[in-house]
Amino acid sequence: MESKREPERFTIAIGPQHPALKEPGSFQFTVDGEIVTKAYVRLGYAHRGIEKAAEQRNWIQDLYLLERICGICSHIHATAYCLAAEQLAHVEAPPRAQAIRVLVAELERIHSHFLWIGVSAHEAGFETLFMYSWRDRETVMDLLEGLTGNRVNYSVNVLGGVKCDIDKEQTAAILKGIEFLEERAHHYFDVLTKDTMFLQRTRGIAVMSRNQAEVMGVNGPTARASNVARDIRVEAPYAAYKQYPVKMALDTRGDLEARFVVRVNELFESFRLIRQILATLPEGELAARFPRRVPAGEAVMRVEAPRGELFYFIKSNGTDKPERVKVRTPTICNMTSVIKLAVGNQLADVPMILAGIDPCFSCNDRTVQLREAGNKTSSMMTWEELRLHGIKFYEGLYK
Amino acid sequence: MDRKVGLWKETMQGLKTWARVNSPWVLHFNSGSCNGCDIEILATLTPRFDVERLGIKLQASPRQADILLCTGPVTRQARERLLRIYEQMPEPKFVVAIGSCALSGGVFQGCYNVMDGIDHVIPVNAFIPGCPPRPEAIIDGVVKLLSSLASPTSKTQPQSLEVEKVSV
Amino acid sequence: MNTEEILTLASGIVSSWDWATEISRPNPKQLDVKVNSLQELVPIVVGLRVKRLGYLAAIVCLDPGPASKDMEVLYHFCPGDAVIALRVRVPRENGVLPSLCEVIPGAEVFERELHEMFGVEISGLHTPDRLYLPDDWPINVYPMRKDFDPNVLSAN
Repeated sequence: MESKREPERFTIAIGPQHPALKEPGSFQFTVDGEIVTKAYVRLGYAHRGIEKAAEQRNWIQDLYLLERICGICSHIHATAYCLAAEQLAHVEAPPRAQAIRVLVAELERIHSHFLWIGVSAHEAGFETLFMYSWRDRETVMDLLEGLTGNRVNYSVNVLGGVKCDIDKEQTAAILKGIEFLEERAHHYFDVLTKDTMFLQRTRGIAVMSRNQAEVMGVNGPTARASNVARDIRVEAPYAAYKQYPVKMALDTRGDLEARFVVRVNELFESFRLIRQILATLPEGELAARFPRRVPAGEAVMRVEAPRGELFYFIKSNGTDKPERVKVRTPTICNMTSVIKLAVGNQLADVPMILAGIDPCFSCNDRTVQLREAGNKTSSMMTWEELRLHGIKFYEGLYK
Repeated sequence: MDRKVGLWKETMQGLKTWARVNSPWVLHFNSGSCNGCDIEILATLTPRFDVERLGIKLQASPRQADILLCTGPVTRQARERLLRIYEQMPEPKFVVAIGSCALSGGVFQGCYNVMDGIDHVIPVNAFIPGCPPRPEAIIDGVVKLLSSLASPTSKTQPQSLEVEKVSV
Repeated sequence: MNTEEILTLASGIVSSWDWATEISRPNPKQLDVKVNSLQELVPIVVGLRVKRLGYLAAIVCLDPGPASKDMEVLYHFCPGDAVIALRVRVPRENGVLPSLCEVIPGAEVFERELHEMFGVEISGLHTPDRLYLPDDWPINVYPMRKDFDPNVLSAN
């Protein structure tokens, strides 16, 4: 007996419960069987009105506010803000301060990439790698704590320079820690590129061509994995990157595996850079004098956060409060790529695709919204109800 | 007979408290924070701090959780979801507010899109200050909550079965 | 090409167009192009793309205050180290900007944010849904404008 049924399209909500996500978002993926046919994102869960608040606080208070836009890349936000404000005030931070800014930025990049390796592995179900990489990450957290006094939200920057110095003991500790981390990074590189089970989740999945990446406006390691040579540290060096040049990590394949490889290669580059900085750290002051009232003007600052290009636009009207602070974070540019790449892939690959742009976590919601194709009705179900619905459906079909 | 029933009830209560204190299942929710506190919560699960040896397990579903670990200053968009998650948790449930933002809004106090703290939305049992609090501080806070459960005082009794919606 | 060469080239290309623009160099790394007519925005952006003069990094809106009848929208294009800023004036009330979605798909998220934060209408947006503001935010209340009153929210 032939049974005819209309194709049912389900809309599955992922989010907004996301532990440790920069922009917790609600995604809705419409699926036909296992293949995603449409994707939609709703952001706004972490929208705190920071740009408005920045206009109501003075320049120093804004430093502490803008550091807390993101816990994982707090230093790079503060660095971008300080560099832009220094540009407006015609203040040049001393060379030692710039070098320390770069040092902490690279340590932050290391911490972020280790975090990301763990989180993506967690998305793929590879819990062991998650635990191992986060254990190793504790080493770099200890180094940052020894240097700055806090594991997260280091607050190294002041307007005009930095407030933390490095002595011989800290230098020795950093070098020892880097040695350990480099050995671990080599091990993870092997795991990520040779483990067959993991490669089945990453090789050839969610391929983004160079043209697609450029058209969608993707940046950071996600773009570099598709052979788009865009790295602000190389194209528009800021702070001490002119004295300590960086080599871009590129990959031509554009799939998830390429994104892993690019980030691990960036880790190696960061280790090399930190050794170079510690060996040739310039002597001098830690901070230059910064005026209370910043002269009127506009400044644009682009920096390379661990996730991509961070864009700061600051306008001053000559008072002790900024007129306008605009922050454009990298994830918002990369989010478009998730929506476009998800379509055509399996639903099971969607968490990995999301993790591939490095937005941090995503967690499944607890209900499923069933929308019958062609029928305007919808019903909310828990997973258990959905399971029972499925059993009843197939029983009815094959009676 | 009454004495036997009383003894039975007391034993069962003791058993429930023992289970609750020795193996609390926690749910984590980020109501709009910068993720600093969330990373530290996750760090407690990782090998250096390892709360699983204390019996604490991270759950994905509010229906199976005892304790809600909440971070963030509660943005307007997240408020509805936070209430819904709180209502989905079965009694007895406890809420731990982690980080300065969860306590009072932190640096975001007064911003147009935040509710300035979790206790403006749901009742909170324990507050852990810090920006972010270290994993040791988070574990300490949760352990303090559990110890107060083991020897209950009037302040930390489980919420009444009639949950009132806290109006904002 | 270094920054100076890129900006000199860009400057030459922009001045050779017929479109109404004014060029200035506020600092060595930036070129400001003031676009005098809203209709000419999209052709100028297409022109920049064709000449591969940078990618769209951000769209920034500046509100001078309720006394001014215009707001200024800046489109930042970044070739290498240089920044080319297209400056467009749009009326505060009933201002309509043409969308860049057809030319630059990635501009959609920036334009959605521009609309919901400043109230600038964008014609031709594919998804005009809310991006950052919550679902229960009152309509016609634009938080980033200088005359935004937070008391409007508690009244709701």
